[in-house]
Amino acid sequence: MKTNWLKLALAVLIATAAILFSQPSSAQSPPKEKIAVVVSTLNNPWFVVLGETAKARAIELGYDATIFDSQNDTAKEASHFENLIAGGYKAVLFNPTDANGSVANVQKAKAAGIPVFCIDREINSTNAATSQMLSDSYSGCVKLGQYFVKTVGKEGEYAELLGIVGDNNTWNRSKGFHSVVDRYTNLVMVAQQSGEFDRAKGLEVMESILQAHPNIKGVFCGNDAMAMGGYQALVTAGKDKQVKVFGFDGADDVVKSIAEGKIVATGMQFPKTMARKSAEFADEYIKGKRDFPQKVPVPVELVTQENVGKYGDYGKK
Amino acid sequence: MRVVRWFIAILIAAVVCWLFPLFHVVTLKTATAEKAAATFNATQFAETFWTNQLPASSDKAVKADVLLPAIQSDAATAKQKFSRSVGLSEGYFYFVSGNGRVVAVSDDEISLAITEGSTNTDVSLQTGLLFGNALRDGTGLLSASDYPNSQDFNDISAALNHLVETRTLPKLREQAKLGAKISFVGCAEVDDEATDLKPLKIIPIQTKAE
Repeated sequence: MKTNWLKLALAVLIATAAILFSQPSSAQSPPKEKIAVVVSTLNNPWFVVLGETAKARAIELGYDATIFDSQNDTAKEASHFENLIAGGYKAVLFNPTDANGSVANVQKAKAAGIPVFCIDREINSTNAATSQMLSDSYSGCVKLGQYFVKTVGKEGEYAELLGIVGDNNTWNRSKGFHSVVDRYTNLVMVAQQSGEFDRAKGLEVMESILQAHPNIKGVFCGNDAMAMGGYQALVTAGKDKQVKVFGFDGADDVVKSIAEGKIVATGMQFPKTMARKSAEFADEYIKGKRDFPQKVPVPVELVTQENVGKYGDYGKK
Repeated sequence: MRVVRWFIAILIAAVVCWLFPLFHVVTLKTATAEKAAATFNATQFAETFWTNQLPASSDKAVKADVLLPAIQSDAATAKQKFSRSVGLSEGYFYFVSGNGRVVAVSDDEISLAITEGSTNTDVSLQTGLLFGNALRDGTGLLSASDYPNSQDFNDISAALNHLVETRTLPKLREQAKLGAKISFVGCAEVDDEATDLKPLKIIPIQTKAE
């Protein structure tokens, strides 16, 4: 009899708990607001760090954050924007795929009342995004150009691996580098080809350049992924001691290669700083701030074998 | 009746096409000229900036005989009071004017003593190949936010550096004899306070022998 009473009491307790947990409580906190992180590609560790840091900072600030990978495809990027506009996101932290091609996506979000904060790469418009946090690629490559002349010398043949031709960063880096190197007329660029910011493509392009121009003394690469690919091609060809490799980004594997004396220098872009600051801008916007600078240049620092000890983990130690 | 309807329809269509033409025929020469006009011309922009805005802004430059003692006394306070920086940069710029006596001349720089009677190099006017954004960013007159494509903004730097190299420096090299007194207006970029402040490395915009 006693056991039956105990069983009954337990059953009532379980039933009460089930009812309580199954009903929405008026005291439950409202769902978190959502921030989208749209990244040009997650096929490059540098952009993974950029996207993950932006997401982590947004979460720290109290939001739900989701990363969308555009896979360097403006059509995929457009589809992400359609989805995030329909999905009720409150802000977009955006690393565009194309300076011109991405403008329409930002305008759509703006028309829907969603602020867009560009990170690292710009769009060719000053009235679509709320703000653009951009690496000062030009100044960084002026420094790299000066170091190139200092280490490679004022004469000889060299090559350049360009990034994606539709991206402004490609040309800002190239122009910054050439604003220095072109002043030394005995330094002759014998090849300039796009490696599309991709390691495998960089390797492939470097192999073909070496076949046509075996006497080059240096190669300037528009990003670190291409620098790693280019260096791999040089090792295979047995020319890694002859050709000095220069990258740009500050990716961890390149910083380690500089420390090991393999790659000569890179430009540290501080992706974590840019990503965190952009998430903070979005938070300020959601909380009511409206006055943001349209473009915020972020400095790039030269990393060489002399100062490499100060850098690592995509920033300064 | 049917003919009249057709006539009215064609007439309306003709009027609509006249008012809202479906296409324009433009000569290749005109199209090329229009495209060139729409493209930002950094050289032309720099020329106008050099001629109109820069000279008028020289009174905004901090005096070297005020800035240098301030830096010597407390570089951080001097930075806060007189410098400008761009974006999240830790580096900064001074827009500075002053005069001094030439104490040394080399291919890449002209050293000036600012303090009367001193032979120390307080300021180094840069006379070699010029790179970077000190002229564009140092005066505070131009902002990246005004340029949709940062390539255009960066091209201004190269164009301004070229103007200094071709207009200011040849005259300065002639003027800069040891002991000569030179007045100047220019911009200094400070990336590393350990090396860039003493002497202050200035890219000269205007110079004059006194």
